[in-house]
Amino acid sequence: MKRFNIVGTDVPRTDAEAKARGTAIYTDDMKLPGMLYGKILRSPLPHALIRNIDISRAASLPGVKCVITGEDTPKIKYGNWRLFPETQDEYPLAVEKVRFIGDEVAAVAAIDNDTAEEALELIKVEYEELPGVFDVDSSILPAAPVIHDYCPSNISVNRKIKYGDIEKGFAEADYVREDTFTMQSVSHAYLEPCSALAQVDLDGRITLWTSTQVPYIIQCLLASTLNMRENDIRVIKPFVGGGFGGKMELRAWEFCAAFIAKKTGRPVKFTLSREEEFLTGRRRHPMKIRSRVGFKKDGTLVAKDLRIQLDGGAYNAMGPTATFLCGNFGAMLYRYPNYRFHGEHIYTNKPPASAMRGFGAPQSLYATEIQMNLAAEELGIDPIDIRLKNAQVSGDKIPDVATISSCGFIESIKAVADMSGWKEKRKNLKPGQGIGIGCYSFISGGVFNWFNTQYPFSAAEVRAFSDGTVHLLTMASDIGQGSDTVLKQILAEELGLNMGDIRITSADTSMTPQADLGSWGSRVTLMAGNAVIDAAKKIKERLFGALSARFNLNVIHEIECKNGRVQAVTRPDYGLTFGEAVALVQKANRGEPLVARGSYTPRGKGLVTPAFGFGAQVAEVEVDRQTGLVEVKQMWTAHDCGTVINPRSVEGQLAGSIQMGLGYALSEQFVMDGGKTLNTSFVDYKMPTAADMPPSQVVHVDTYEPEGPMGAKEAGEGLASPTAPAISDAVYHATGYRCMDLPVTPEKILEGMKKD
Amino acid sequence: MRLPKFEYFEPKTLEAALNLLTQNGNNAHLLAGGTDVLVKMRNGRLKPEAVIGLQGIEDLNGIHFDSGKGLAIGATAKLAEVASNPDVLKHYPALAFAAGVMANVQVRNMGTIAGNLCNAAPSAENAPPLMAMGAEVALANLQGDRRIALHQFFRGPGLTAMEHGEIMTAILVPFPVPKSGASYKRVSARCGVDIAAVCVSAWVALDGEVCKDVRIVLGAVAPTPMRAVGAESFMREQTWTQELIETAAAQAVQESKPISDVRASADYRKKMVAVLTLRALEQAYERAIKN
Amino acid sequence: MKHHINFSVNGDDYSLAVDPWRTLNELLREDLNLTGTKLGCGTGDCGACTVMVDGRTVSSCLTLAVSVNGKSVTTVEGLAPSGEELHPIQESFIKTGAIQCGFCTAGMEMSALHLLNNNPEPTEKEIRAGLSGNLCRCTGYNQIVEAISVAAEQIRDSEHEKEER
Ligand SMILES: Cc1cc2nc3c(=O)[nH]c(=O)nc-3n(C[C@H](O)[C@H](O)[C@H](O)COP(=O)(O)OP(=O)(O)OC[C@H]3O[C@@H](n4cnc5c(N)ncnc54)[C@H](O)[C@@H]3O)c2cc1C
Ligand code: FES
Ligand code: FES
Repeated sequence: MKRFNIVGTDVPRTDAEAKARGTAIYTDDMKLPGMLYGKILRSPLPHALIRNIDISRAASLPGVKCVITGEDTPKIKYGNWRLFPETQDEYPLAVEKVRFIGDEVAAVAAIDNDTAEEALELIKVEYEELPGVFDVDSSILPAAPVIHDYCPSNISVNRKIKYGDIEKGFAEADYVREDTFTMQSVSHAYLEPCSALAQVDLDGRITLWTSTQVPYIIQCLLASTLNMRENDIRVIKPFVGGGFGGKMELRAWEFCAAFIAKKTGRPVKFTLSREEEFLTGRRRHPMKIRSRVGFKKDGTLVAKDLRIQLDGGAYNAMGPTATFLCGNFGAMLYRYPNYRFHGEHIYTNKPPASAMRGFGAPQSLYATEIQMNLAAEELGIDPIDIRLKNAQVSGDKIPDVATISSCGFIESIKAVADMSGWKEKRKNLKPGQGIGIGCYSFISGGVFNWFNTQYPFSAAEVRAFSDGTVHLLTMASDIGQGSDTVLKQILAEELGLNMGDIRITSADTSMTPQADLGSWGSRVTLMAGNAVIDAAKKIKERLFGALSARFNLNVIHEIECKNGRVQAVTRPDYGLTFGEAVALVQKANRGEPLVARGSYTPRGKGLVTPAFGFGAQVAEVEVDRQTGLVEVKQMWTAHDCGTVINPRSVEGQLAGSIQMGLGYALSEQFVMDGGKTLNTSFVDYKMPTAADMPPSQVVHVDTYEPEGPMGAKEAGEGLASPTAPAISDAVYHATGYRCMDLPVTPEKILEGMKKD
Repeated sequence: MRLPKFEYFEPKTLEAALNLLTQNGNNAHLLAGGTDVLVKMRNGRLKPEAVIGLQGIEDLNGIHFDSGKGLAIGATAKLAEVASNPDVLKHYPALAFAAGVMANVQVRNMGTIAGNLCNAAPSAENAPPLMAMGAEVALANLQGDRRIALHQFFRGPGLTAMEHGEIMTAILVPFPVPKSGASYKRVSARCGVDIAAVCVSAWVALDGEVCKDVRIVLGAVAPTPMRAVGAESFMREQTWTQELIETAAAQAVQESKPISDVRASADYRKKMVAVLTLRALEQAYERAIKN
Repeated sequence: MKHHINFSVNGDDYSLAVDPWRTLNELLREDLNLTGTKLGCGTGDCGACTVMVDGRTVSSCLTLAVSVNGKSVTTVEGLAPSGEELHPIQESFIKTGAIQCGFCTAGMEMSALHLLNNNPEPTEKEIRAGLSGNLCRCTGYNQIVEAISVAAEQIRDSEHEKEER
């Protein structure tokens, strides 16, 4: 492993003190003079035509300053997939039709929240209810109601991947099995409800503070929906209380805040309630997965035929990407010489599903991993051994899609088997106790440019000063995952400085370099990290030149930035402090500041990602065979995220992933009645609490990713996948109940145990 | 949603509170810890014009115990106080457990047993142990006081035997007779912030190996917390055996009338009545023989 | 009708008129600009709004502002003795990585304070139970639990030192 000074150490987060003191400002904490408070009126029906909206009583309520409906807006559709405009299917406020319970119909701004809420009750909407569809099977029937006129089939995206010869593959197989899996919808359940505050500047431009993962995307889409120019919009990301994929699109309240600020000339703030978040919020796609796999007798995989239907809800949102990725993940982990995938993104009259931590992987890999265990059992092979036999290794290809560079998958499987005492425990546990395995692979940022940006994927600006400090400007968005700290670590390492020498400004579209597509797809460390290194290298070149001239160094000298100094490697006495060296560069340039831009765009890296993370996880559970309640006793994880830049941060990501995965496996789900979400509070949306969390042990497999900054790759999202299959498999081991339809509830366990 | 607009009163005496309650008629609503009232107001399910806070009334505070009269829990005593009270822990462990596992730390620091009972949710967690232990509630209005047995108190979801103008002043639990014991069991999907999907309490009094008396109370499986009277009478005066309690548990299932909702299906609830009744009886027995 | 109330927050006395339907959370965040206390749900479920009233943690979203008349409130802003020092709980939260997005942090710290005031030597299980009313979506809680046990030790050590002196 390469040795670093700051990279690889437990540097505390640089924003932690502000957060610990309660002084970190989130969007809803802000208040501007004259600010109005906004609220949104939402559709109570899953599918209906809007016949008439009467806002007169609301508008005349004292204290109400503005009421708008879709008719007042420019009526421009938007969506993240700008590359394919036909996929942009959403209006900021509904025009003529509503498509799910919660669809935004009108907005009000008033002098306080109480008045705004009162005004909502005074808006009268006449609807003509239409029949709705609530599951993929009914939605694709020829006679099904059409949700979007442009898409009579209700299938908005088709995605296919094919390589090898699938027929030939199955013909060669000794053993073929086909299984169907379904999984529920779950919530991001970030703790900070969405909030946006807009202000009109003196010159008519708009500033928007918003709780988002993607400031640049908001800037662009807000501009297009308001019919303004991109740079007339400034988006600032304050502290954000978690995102997990749920804050990566332009949303109605961001538009309404800006639109009403323009109309009234006053700042306007919208903050959602938790009930709104649950009732109408984005969520993870429910999927129906049919998977056919073929093996040789000895457990060697020969073919896989995968069909996935995504229940997308009423709009595309990030569904096209999920459709794209779940097929890619279906081909990951193991070597499938012959592979075919067909994914369909299907509209239903439910709140739109979108990106959520893992982005298609938790569903797709649940199917892969459970099916692997089913096959292993029938072939009489241990689940660990069948994985080792088929595991992907460095250099493997998914033709036309991706090539795997660094890969510590086999090491991960072996390590986790060792750590957990797999071989012993899988044989001899008491009734009610079980142990199970789940593996994952994940991307380190996406390659496919669906947003159609003309900028680099990531960019960074570094300003160096003669007092020995530097200022890093980046549009990479820290939403709690700690990217500000990681980027500072990378910069400090590269420039030989301390964390305290670096100031960071992140995510203000008027100041930070264009562009950065934001925080999602585990792209930040790799992409923004590379951009930071690129900028730092340019700064170093200038410093090295100045130093070389100052000491009249022979050109063969290697120069380094180390311990706050710039010096010749073999003659450190030929050196200056970092600040002195900066001053020298500035003097040589007659006062010009020392500034450099760096960028990163993955090129020639296939369609998916420049680098994959890998890992394996084992869960041990105890099941109360009378109540069906599952207690997760212990988790073991071994994973390959390349160089670990901040061990505590990576372990925090792991623990957070286990929590989410445990909820996905056992307790979390949206309970729906047709188009209505029934559990709209944390009491009934059961995400795990502190007492539900098992102890956990981890091994970081030592790899170095050549494409990553200092060898690093993703660490935050891949881990969202293995926990559910591991726990589910452990429940099977403990009870004989094999779950094909997540979540693994006590009721299903009792039912399933009865059968055998 | 924001709270609706209302007038607020914080009387210092019970009499002042009763006067306010009577004067304001049906538009007035009492507030103890507020953990049910504020949630209901926020969801738009409750829109009172006047809210009468009980916290300022000195007399309603406090937990009193003596071995003759038993336990008296004041209407504004916090759940956390009840759960950690040494006398409650010693003599009424089933209640201490119920009050100490329900909801979460903050809610237990605010909420009260009286509020839990008066709110009359089918899943109210203190109801089963209190009913099983034969508790009574003391009610007051401007005309005077009355006491009724808790098992006659609940009339339906959100409905009680209280008349308008009445305030619950205390919950009274008799001193445990020798060789008696009570227990409380619940299932819920997770360890924190959770409401029981099913809960069961049992109380037994033994005479040697004979079950002299027994009460089995089921929560969240009927419109109100309910006694499984059939199971109880089946057990009375019988010798305590595994078979006896298993049959009683099966009988309790017959008596329960659960519905399906977001927390569990009716079918699962029935199964849990059997499991929890058995476990509750076993623990009550353990406690009784040691008592 | 507005009610006139007197109360203290983090040692500062306030005297103001409030509408009875406003919550303590709104009073702190909107009127006093003490925005360290968050609002994550408004229905008592998440704990982001946790503050201390007369030494006990409550959900400020379920507490009427009028009801704190005559009482003393502590919020996250009242934890650190100064801008240059931190409370041991804050220090350990920072050090152990217990803070990611930070939205749950204020509530977590207040619950930690309540727990350690009542139980200076909690077991891991007791710490987890003490957080039953505080949800976190980022950390998986493990580093928070660690932070609280580190803080407990720190506080015990410094009490010890005080006694010895
Ligand atoms: C997050 C959360 C979790 C919860 N979890 C649980 C749980 O696990 N189990 C459970 O059982 N409950 C749970 N609850 C519900 C609630 O906390 C309890 O019912 C609590 O005991 C109510 O007490 P309170 O003092 O807050 O009642 P309040 O809200 O003040 O009052 C409740 C009702 O009782 C009436 N009332 C109160 N006192 C009197 C009196 N002296 N005389 C007449 N009427 C009166 C009020 O008018 C009101 O109708 C939970 C609530 C929350 C917010
Ligand atoms: S905001 Fe008060 S508990 Fe969630
Ligand atoms: S740190 Fe984000 S919710 Fe706890």
